[in-house]
Amino acid sequence: MFLDIFIFELKYRFSRPATYIYFALLMIVTLLLIGFGNTPASEKVYHNAPIVIANLLVLVSLFGILIASAVMGVPIYRDIEHKTATFLFSYPISKFAYFMGRFWGSFVALLFISLGTLLGIYLGSLLGPLFGTDAARYGPNLLVNYFQPWLTLVVPNLWLAGSLFFAMVVFTRNIKSIYSGGIVIFIGYLLANFLAQDIENKDLVQIIDPFGLNSFDIQTRYLTPFEQNNFLLSITGNLLLNRILWFSVGIVLFLAAYYRFSFSYFFQTSQKKTKPEAITEEVPNRFLQKIKGDFSGSYQWSSLKTLTKIEIQNVLKDVYFRSILLGGMIFLVLDFWIGQTLYSVPSHPVTSMLLEFKTYDYVLFVFIILVFFTGESLHRDKSTGYSIINDTFPVKDGVVIASKFLGMAMICVILATLPIVVGIVIQTLKGYFNYNIGAYLIDSYLITLPDYLQMIMLVFAVHLVVNNKFAGHAAAIGIWVLMIVLRQFAGYDFNLFFFSYKPAYMWSEMNGLGHFGEPLFWFNLYWTAFGIFLILFFSIFFSRGTEDSFSSRVKSAKERLTRKSTLISYVFLVIALGTGAYIYNSVVYVNSYFTSDQSNKRSAEYEKQLKKYEFIPQPKMTKVNLKADLYPLERDAYFEAKIQLVNKTDSPIDSIHFNSSSLTEFHTLLNGDTLSYRFPLKYDSSKFLIFGEKPEPEWYKITALPKTMMPGDTIDLVIVSKVINQKFPNSGYGRELVYNGTFIAGGMPDIGYSANGELNSDEERKKYELPEKPEDLPEHTDPYGRKTLLFSDEADFIQFEATISTIPSQIAIAPGYLQKEWTEGERRFFHYIQDTPIQAFFSVVSAEYEVMRDKTTLPNGQEIDLEIYYQKGHEYNLDGFMDSYKDGLTYFSETYGNFQFRQMRLLEFPRYEGFAQSFPNTVPFSESFGWVADFSDPNSFDYVYYVTAHELAHQWWGHQITPNYTRGANLISEALAEYSALILTERKYGKDNMKRFLKDELDDYLRGRSNENKKENVFINCNRPYQWYNKGSLILYGLRDLIGNQAIDSALYKFNAEFGLKTTPPFPGSSDLYRHLAAYTPDSLKYYLDDTWNKITLYDNKADEVKATKVAEGEYDVTIKFRSQKLYADSAGEESIPSYDGDFIDIGVFAAEDQDENGRDRVNPLYLQKYKIKPGETTLTIRVKGEPVKAGIDPFNKLIDRAPDDNMISVEIE
Amino acid sequence: MELIIKNLSKTYSNGVKALNDISLTIPQGMFGLLGPNGAGKSTLMRTIATLQDADSGSIFLDDINVLEDKQSVRERLGYLPQDFGLYPRINAETMLDHIAQMKGIGHKSERKELVSSLLQKVNLFKDRKKGLGTFSGGMRQRFGIAQALVGNPSLIIVDEPTAGLDPSERNRFYNLLSEIGENTIVILSTHIVEDVNTLCSNMAIICQGEVLMHGKPKDGLASVQGKIFKKAIDKSELDQYRKDFHVISTKLIEGKLSLRIESETEPGNGFEAVPADLEDVYFSFISRKVDPITI
Repeated sequence: MFLDIFIFELKYRFSRPATYIYFALLMIVTLLLIGFGNTPASEKVYHNAPIVIANLLVLVSLFGILIASAVMGVPIYRDIEHKTATFLFSYPISKFAYFMGRFWGSFVALLFISLGTLLGIYLGSLLGPLFGTDAARYGPNLLVNYFQPWLTLVVPNLWLAGSLFFAMVVFTRNIKSIYSGGIVIFIGYLLANFLAQDIENKDLVQIIDPFGLNSFDIQTRYLTPFEQNNFLLSITGNLLLNRILWFSVGIVLFLAAYYRFSFSYFFQTSQKKTKPEAITEEVPNRFLQKIKGDFSGSYQWSSLKTLTKIEIQNVLKDVYFRSILLGGMIFLVLDFWIGQTLYSVPSHPVTSMLLEFKTYDYVLFVFIILVFFTGESLHRDKSTGYSIINDTFPVKDGVVIASKFLGMAMICVILATLPIVVGIVIQTLKGYFNYNIGAYLIDSYLITLPDYLQMIMLVFAVHLVVNNKFAGHAAAIGIWVLMIVLRQFAGYDFNLFFFSYKPAYMWSEMNGLGHFGEPLFWFNLYWTAFGIFLILFFSIFFSRGTEDSFSSRVKSAKERLTRKSTLISYVFLVIALGTGAYIYNSVVYVNSYFTSDQSNKRSAEYEKQLKKYEFIPQPKMTKVNLKADLYPLERDAYFEAKIQLVNKTDSPIDSIHFNSSSLTEFHTLLNGDTLSYRFPLKYDSSKFLIFGEKPEPEWYKITALPKTMMPGDTIDLVIVSKVINQKFPNSGYGRELVYNGTFIAGGMPDIGYSANGELNSDEERKKYELPEKPEDLPEHTDPYGRKTLLFSDEADFIQFEATISTIPSQIAIAPGYLQKEWTEGERRFFHYIQDTPIQAFFSVVSAEYEVMRDKTTLPNGQEIDLEIYYQKGHEYNLDGFMDSYKDGLTYFSETYGNFQFRQMRLLEFPRYEGFAQSFPNTVPFSESFGWVADFSDPNSFDYVYYVTAHELAHQWWGHQITPNYTRGANLISEALAEYSALILTERKYGKDNMKRFLKDELDDYLRGRSNENKKENVFINCNRPYQWYNKGSLILYGLRDLIGNQAIDSALYKFNAEFGLKTTPPFPGSSDLYRHLAAYTPDSLKYYLDDTWNKITLYDNKADEVKATKVAEGEYDVTIKFRSQKLYADSAGEESIPSYDGDFIDIGVFAAEDQDENGRDRVNPLYLQKYKIKPGETTLTIRVKGEPVKAGIDPFNKLIDRAPDDNMISVEIE
Repeated sequence: MELIIKNLSKTYSNGVKALNDISLTIPQGMFGLLGPNGAGKSTLMRTIATLQDADSGSIFLDDINVLEDKQSVRERLGYLPQDFGLYPRINAETMLDHIAQMKGIGHKSERKELVSSLLQKVNLFKDRKKGLGTFSGGMRQRFGIAQALVGNPSLIIVDEPTAGLDPSERNRFYNLLSEIGENTIVILSTHIVEDVNTLCSNMAIICQGEVLMHGKPKDGLASVQGKIFKKAIDKSELDQYRKDFHVISTKLIEGKLSLRIESETEPGNGFEAVPADLEDVYFSFISRKVDPITI
């Protein structure tokens, strides 16, 4: 019996075209992704590497959930829907046979559909080279690479979804309930995503994600390119737990459904309980005929109102609307409450950030609501059967359509308003009362609301045309999926062609909505007009009455082509085209839009045509006297720089290669005369310039000198330049020049060809027939490299002076000491002189600032002025910045050598970028990098203090020690700044507080190397941020732990003594620092220096078992069994096992944690000692005083260990 | 006031000829439309109710061209379709109030009064706060009746209005219909021949899209009076009788088949003459088109 039903179900499924359509859909999507190389694989990873296949499968299984809902929701519901249920009673079918037959038949069909993904990937990897993807990007196809992840990731996901949807229908007897089921697991997934922002939640995230997507990410995040290509996904640890958990949930649902199911229950005809209700109200019973309809005057208008009203009620009373909205609200509250954390530290709930948080998760729910309910709304009358009554009412078609639209528009208003309410409630609950009502209103009603309305306009038009609810939903979602695929994977980003897309914007507490209002206005006008056109025009397909055959619809559509609303639609089309033209002009002509392909091609042309000029002799600047006039409200700046150049080479120089891609225009004057130049580049013109050519901006100027500069010759030039922002570009924040918070490089062109302008991706380079680019600077001993500075190759050290003017309400700042400040007309002037030589590395900042001033006296008696320029209202952490400056100046000057300036400043700039940057005695510091952070939790990592210390440390490491242009040189700036800041922070907050930060550093390093596109360099040759920041701080911190504070401080002091403020070459590089460190490292520890600097070294340390026996009151013998192994990795990440005697590693035993007097968590080591640990298994017994709780190897993760969490385990006391 | 249908034809895209050159004149008062399933009754009614178009022919309500000037027809129309739904999550009172607004009752208090009295008349007043999704078939049908009567329409079309009603509700509905003023055309389609007899002053029988009979019930009766004979036979003999006589209907009574035939002359063979009722009129016409025998 079971078999019969099972086979019947299978036959039914395989006779339905839907089965094959789903299969084909999955196959085509994956085929295209793999074939066109749009996978998450980094460049050295095969598109069909086992891990990439697993990744794709788990991603696609997300969409598989939708298919599962379609396949698994209906098998038994069919019998209710088609009213065949009554027959089933009469047949001798057992519950078991019916339930199991239907379930397994459908589930097998679902599994078959999911195989489309595997076939697609396989075909994609074969056809890829035909699609133009490099054949080298495809590795060998092994069957196990496909079926292992399919069995472990896809099948459990489908099992969970399948049994959930099946159970939902069994329990509710309502097909729509699968929406709610889908939403529930989707919420689980989003919750995991949300928590995954913080690595502290790692375990929880891995377990609660029902799809295992986050667990997969965490499990595979450290795999190197080699491992991704060669290893199968290992289903262990939390991923295994996750799979077991959710598979079991599936089993529970399946069993629950089976036990709940019975024919009589499931197929009962609905018997509503009728509540007896007493008639208490007296009602008039007048004769009906007296009241007659009146259709004159305002009839249509009042009908519109009542239709709209009932439409809104229909949506608001829908339980699916309510449950989806509830989901959205949960995330809105979560996102608003926790927001974006940095090192697990949250921010104060400032309005400008909340307005961004609502786009994280809430907008997803809004999208689901709008897409589905717009379709529901249009089809409601037909699907409920009410249309046959409604359509006979004497309202005009237009009124019906308008009422549907207005109903949904009101829903949009409600959805746009909720974040305001939730935002203000949360701000109030958190004790933040500085509500920015203006920002709330503008963002909600002028930016978000039009966005929502445009969304429903398109969905509306789609449903008018398609006229079938489910096909309409599919078409509408299809349009968005297509847009997302084109943008995300195919790299198209021309907003004008993507419905409802606009340039990104960002609110800032400093700059408000700033200059984003203009593009948002134009794009909203454009899309709204276009949306209205769509609705008005496609309402010709609106069908009323019972006749909706295709031909009759086409016929009536033709008749309506000339009616009034259609004619009005043309007006809106004209408005859309007009605004579109304005935007096109602004984006393409005024702001030179290029597609990513075009930009790549231009970079390739730059390299091909000009690479020959790299390393040609060029003069170096020795003096800069900058005059800058800033017009923040116009977003324009005018510069005039008097510079002095010296030919420091030993060859004559007859021309100078000035170039700048950020300046709108520049030219060079010698003795008042403009120098002639040549623009050497030839580009193909942009395909977007369809309305006529546009002259190519001449940004690379080979400027002829009237007189050849002989070696040692000096020349004085004036460079006149400007930056003009007109209208708006396709994308980008354009953050340099803004109304309030300008932060712009000094208006100077670069000199000479720069390799930074080249294409980096080897895959892209191959397309343009360029050789692979190793991205390595010259060798450590390279003479050119040693005499050239990394930050600015135009100069060695310069004398710097600047006069800057801005609007009267703002303060303008550049490096140097303020000489004079004055107002002339409507301009406010500032004159700065830097009286000691600095690198040619400066910027100009201007904003409306509050200023906090202080002074500090260094141990050597030197007085330093301290100034913090900040946005009013951002007083929260001023003391943190100031303390860091004071503590750092004292400690660094004592430890590394004197401080070279008499002042230190820190300036807030808008949060369009999230960094801080250290210029000589001047540090611009982003609004989002701690100004509004909430450090009220005593355990939080004070990153304001830390980052400030890092930037301050750059005054030594970067501005005293000026890295040269050789391999790995940047580490003497960044790694040392990172290390020094870490030490300063540790001095203030203690070792325990650093754990959270070091964990992040380790995570960033390991992730960085796993996403490496080329090769991982050893540290001494580092060329990536994950190496010089993250690995740098870890290995220097580890070195200090081994050789001691004094040794490392002495080495750094000596290093600075040799090279600090050395204004003439040779400049220092990484090998110079290595030399100093090696000198202070005893021979027994040299292995560590060699391992960390000259090799890529990883450890695999793990505690296996810890037992303790009580030997006396409060005394225990702790026996620790652990394993240790050192591994070396090559540049692709392939590991090898070296033979070695043993390395020094901490062994620790800890008592329970408690809290110190500041309320911070404190770990309490009972025993912490370094041992020379041999590879393999070791057992140690240690006697401790106090009750041990945890013990293990390398408890503080001082070594680079890919599984840092298993080093310590709980002590079993016997 | 008069509704004049001339040469109306409609063929669906699947080839079904739903209306075949139908011409009818429908005066004021109740007009009964009889016909078997699939006769084209609903198509005809939907066409009059402006829900669909005809291929050819015309319909005029006095001087209103129904096929062209749908708006004017809709202003005068009360329509109860055979099969309809309502918004499940809206309660009866709100929905009827909404419909009253749509039917041009703009005055709020007037509307409230009208809604209350209509709900009372269809015995739904105590259920007025319930969501329409919870209504049983009979309750929904009663609600449908109420909405069709809103705004004193001068053209009322009710398609199978008593389907799903129990006998007492059916009576209540007919009482309600009879209260409707004189200046109204009521087109009623039904399977229940008896209803037409008691209610309608005029009627038509249609089958396969054609008008088979058109006139007053008593004229119809007159046309078959004296021509109807019946006999109880054994089931097995049916085929023979069908060959020999014009059988218009059969009924099983206590195991025997009661046969009714139409004949101009006394048929003999044990047939006895019976007084004709309207059902005989109906079967007499229908049987000329289709085989009415069902056992």
